[in-house]
Amino acid sequence: MRGRGGSSRNLAAPVAFFALLGGAAGALAFTVRRRFMRYEVNGASMVPALDPGDYVIVDRTAYRRRLPRKGHVVLAHDPRDHAREIVKRVDRSDLHGDLWLTGDNAGESTASETFGAVPRGAIVGRVRWRYWPLRALFRVR
Amino acid sequence: MNMIARILRPSRVAFAHCDGPCGVYDPAGARIAAEAVLSMEKKLAALPDDNTLATANTRSRFIQIKEQQAEIVKRELDIIWHDYFKPEHLEKYPNLHDVFWKATKLASKNKTESDPANGEALMTAIEEIHNMYWGSKNRTDVPFYRAG
Repeated sequence: MRGRGGSSRNLAAPVAFFALLGGAAGALAFTVRRRFMRYEVNGASMVPALDPGDYVIVDRTAYRRRLPRKGHVVLAHDPRDHAREIVKRVDRSDLHGDLWLTGDNAGESTASETFGAVPRGAIVGRVRWRYWPLRALFRVR
Repeated sequence: MNMIARILRPSRVAFAHCDGPCGVYDPAGARIAAEAVLSMEKKLAALPDDNTLATANTRSRFIQIKEQQAEIVKRELDIIWHDYFKPEHLEKYPNLHDVFWKATKLASKNKTESDPANGEALMTAIEEIHNMYWGSKNRTDVPFYRAG
């Protein structure tokens, strides 16, 4: 009995250590996954900043404390179909704080000229980095 | 490279699009559906007032089509209301929201009732929207006509 009790006591410290380490890693991974989301760009309305087929990382906490500013590339819910997420550039914000979004490639873009200003709550986050293709690996401007 | 791209591929899609018919709108869609509603109301009024299976069958078909077409009117008007019209248009048409609200309300009334007078009123409301829509584009060459 004594031997068994002793061995479990000896294991307690390493088990607790690894459990804590695992928990911390899990919590970190969870936070990172919630904050950063990966998207594939579909469509040519943001050429040349983003090409169709580019893979980008969206920071969902970018506007938690700050307001979207003119020139930011953002991901937003499509006002006409909430389930659809669109990538556009902030052109200006109006009196109510609603955002006027445009595409960089005017001829290939459906934006606020069509669907009007987008409420701030519809902004999912800021498109921060492109991670694919590698030749274009860069911060999204 | 392709394999790496496949592994790294995100599951979510961010749309950077022009959707299909870029900026192509026409209140004609609402007009055609409203004409169908009116037609069904007239046919319902003309049905014999009996309880035969044949009449009941025809009556339910007419009602079903009236329901569907009135729903289409609402959808078509909604698209023009909130996708086409912009805040700037309110300067030229300050009553824009009221006109659309009343027209879509009328479409609902055409569902809950079966009086052809409602269908006629709906056609009049859509004619007003037709005039506003084409007026906002400074077009005077688009007549409001009826297919039925």
